[in-house]
Amino acid sequence: MADPVDTVAPPAPPALAPGLTYLRFLSAALRRSFSGSWRFYAWMTVLTAIALVGLNGWGHQLQQGMQVTRMSDHVSWGLYIANFTFGVGLAAGAVMMVIPAYLYDDHDMHDVVIIGELLAIAAIAVCIGFIVADMGRPDRMWHILPGIGRFHWPVSMLTWDVLALNGYLLINLHIAGYLMYQRYRGKAPRKRWYLPFVFLSIGWAISIHTVTAFLYQGLGGRPFWNSALLAPRFLATAFISGPAFVIVLLHVVRWSGRLTFGDGPIRTLTSIMRVTVLLNLFMLMSELFTALYTGGAHAAAVKYLFFGSHGKRALVPYIWTAVTLNVTSAVLLFLPRTRVDRRWLLAACACAFVGVYIEKGMGLIIPGFVPSTLHEVVEYTPSITEWKVTAGVWALGLLILTVALKVGLAMWTGKVRAADAPPMGDAAP
Amino acid sequence: MSCHSLREAAPLPTSTAALDEFHQGLQFAHGELTCASCHLAGPTPSLRRADGERVDLRDAMVLCRQCHGPQARDYDHGAHGGMTGSWDLSTGGRMRNHCVDCHDPHAPRFQPSWPVLPPRDRGITAAAPRRN
Amino acid sequence: MSGPTRRVALKVVGATLGAGAFAYAGRPVAQWAASVDIDDLLRRHYKELTADELAQILHRIEDDTQKKYGVEVRVEDIPAQDGVSFGYALNLSLCIGCRKCAEACHHENNHDRSTNNSYIRVLEMQQGSFDMEHGRVDYDHAVPAPGKYYMPVQCHQCDNAPCVKVCPVEATWKERDGIVVVDYSWCIGCRYCEAACPYHARRFNWRAPEISADEINPDQGYLSNRIRPQGVVEKCTFCLHRTRKGLLPACLEACPTGARVFGNLLDPASPIRYVLEHKRVYVLKEELGTRPRFFYFFDK
Repeated sequence: MADPVDTVAPPAPPALAPGLTYLRFLSAALRRSFSGSWRFYAWMTVLTAIALVGLNGWGHQLQQGMQVTRMSDHVSWGLYIANFTFGVGLAAGAVMMVIPAYLYDDHDMHDVVIIGELLAIAAIAVCIGFIVADMGRPDRMWHILPGIGRFHWPVSMLTWDVLALNGYLLINLHIAGYLMYQRYRGKAPRKRWYLPFVFLSIGWAISIHTVTAFLYQGLGGRPFWNSALLAPRFLATAFISGPAFVIVLLHVVRWSGRLTFGDGPIRTLTSIMRVTVLLNLFMLMSELFTALYTGGAHAAAVKYLFFGSHGKRALVPYIWTAVTLNVTSAVLLFLPRTRVDRRWLLAACACAFVGVYIEKGMGLIIPGFVPSTLHEVVEYTPSITEWKVTAGVWALGLLILTVALKVGLAMWTGKVRAADAPPMGDAAP
Repeated sequence: MSCHSLREAAPLPTSTAALDEFHQGLQFAHGELTCASCHLAGPTPSLRRADGERVDLRDAMVLCRQCHGPQARDYDHGAHGGMTGSWDLSTGGRMRNHCVDCHDPHAPRFQPSWPVLPPRDRGITAAAPRRN
Repeated sequence: MSGPTRRVALKVVGATLGAGAFAYAGRPVAQWAASVDIDDLLRRHYKELTADELAQILHRIEDDTQKKYGVEVRVEDIPAQDGVSFGYALNLSLCIGCRKCAEACHHENNHDRSTNNSYIRVLEMQQGSFDMEHGRVDYDHAVPAPGKYYMPVQCHQCDNAPCVKVCPVEATWKERDGIVVVDYSWCIGCRYCEAACPYHARRFNWRAPEISADEINPDQGYLSNRIRPQGVVEKCTFCLHRTRKGLLPACLEACPTGARVFGNLLDPASPIRYVLEHKRVYVLKEELGTRPRFFYFFDK
């Protein structure tokens, strides 16, 4: 195992010392990410293999163009943007650990909050991966860099999303990195170096998903998206998928024995989900009522999504699966049995996670394009290449999450420490 | 007493059935008009204005606008009839269609045609068999 | 074999396999990266180019076309004229749905041949209804058919253009004469504009367009009909390579019924002004507030 090999550091010039410690911190983190049990190696190998399949698929897409996808001028966004949208929700959902931990001073949650911050980082990486995968010309990516390219801010909502996502990534990298670094050095973190950022991250988490919803919501030509309810629904679903994933993750972490913590965080997250699953179903019902009772052209996409249109029904199985899973998760979450049996809880989380994944992906992005703006009904189902790239990006996200958790928890619990760090116990924040 | 007491009248034909030679088979579908509404009898083919004045074949438009005022007005303003060339007449001329370029004077309704360039873009090609 | 040796051997084998997998999987990306043109990649935004730089770029496009197709083309960048603001109107009483306009666009603008791409989509509409839900584009019978009317739709060159608003990199903008253009050399291919447009006016190059050398239209505009690269968005420009020289757009010239009226909105004597002032004119999806420069009207 990769306990630091450094012996007592040789006396270095004082000006260099912090930098040197930081380098040692990074190298300890790096070493830690490449060593582990055979299980760890197997898991990382599988993920790497999937990521490489995705990389290969993306390479073919770069060479042959996006004709290898099944997107068209009618359905011009597909699986990539669907996954991107869901990923943003996952990143935002992680804030549901930060709010109890810092706003309500929930000490149990405080013990595990680093997991939420690391999840946010991995989820944002996934989002960026899907955006890059969806670009026709990723070679021109620099055009979208503020100050270097032509950043169409504040008019284009996409530029807001660039700021929101990258800002959120940086904030979380800073918070998690700083807390880990202080633990590594055996020092108590200084509040003014992280607490303002924690509060900033709470607002920012809400903003990333709001801005992402505004991306679609602001398009007058797409009645299915052009609803004020879109952003609230995005947040509700984010606060389902985020907690659901974290609950599963907490069980995995506990099972791995790398962190011991009470049942408080899981209870809190379950309570949050009990509210958000109902909120989401309520808003879904409200949207369905508005569309179907009114009828007319504005209902066309909803009708296509739920019942098919002009004999075309590609999305019907998706959305009913999603609705079934969402309703099931709601029922499960309220069963008394779920409070005592964690298998039921995990099943509820799995249902909720998959349900939201389908609803927000295939069930929200695709029907925005069907029927098209000239009311043509052109269907979309993802191609093999799109599935490959999608799997690859998620595998990359899981790789990042695994490494982040492995390194992060080792530092969090004091397993990896600087040679000159004082013994554990002095440094609890 | 009149001329016709000496000689049988030879009225101008009023329907295509009465036509000879190259006029045979001519389809006529232009309202209530008859041949003599527009054609002036005589050795050289020429046209006849409503008031009886002779009109050259090349000036057929004069004849058309007697009845089709709104179209003629639109034409004068560049809003009726196909054209090629320049919109900016200071940079070049434009070639405008004559009424009879598009409308057969004997059957002026625009004839149906088969559409060209059916859409074949992504998504359309994979579509299910056409409904009609 | 002792334990440590075996572990080392395993690691070596694993590392070799891993490196091989990386090399294999990454090869398409590497090949693509090697094919990226550095000059093209690093050039600045159209509006930041000097006259010299622009001239060089135009020259390069001509050279590249010569190399790739063996065809001599002229690529110009014609600026918007002073005192000109374009407008276009279409007479729905006259249109017979023959799609000759779409075909003319296809040839004029060097579109991909196999997809029949065109900036114009012609809808066969149900008489008595404005609902496009009852329209269709893939009609295949003699036109005009009884009980139908026809509505060609192309870029409306909106004054409040949703596509221009959403572009994150200013690769698309509105010119002084009202035309919304795309710089194909700046577009990043995110297709947000395609999602934003309410008129299905934009097309994406899902692959590099294919067109045979003898069919290439050699009179090309930098912001209009030059052959587009793969992975960027394109759209109707009212044939600005023609119209900015005073010529009529190709779709108008091809129209057999004279249903199309084009001209300068600032000229009170122009045909387009006549139509706007004397006909019953409407715009498509007016409720969206896009303020189109493309108008529909009826004779009767």
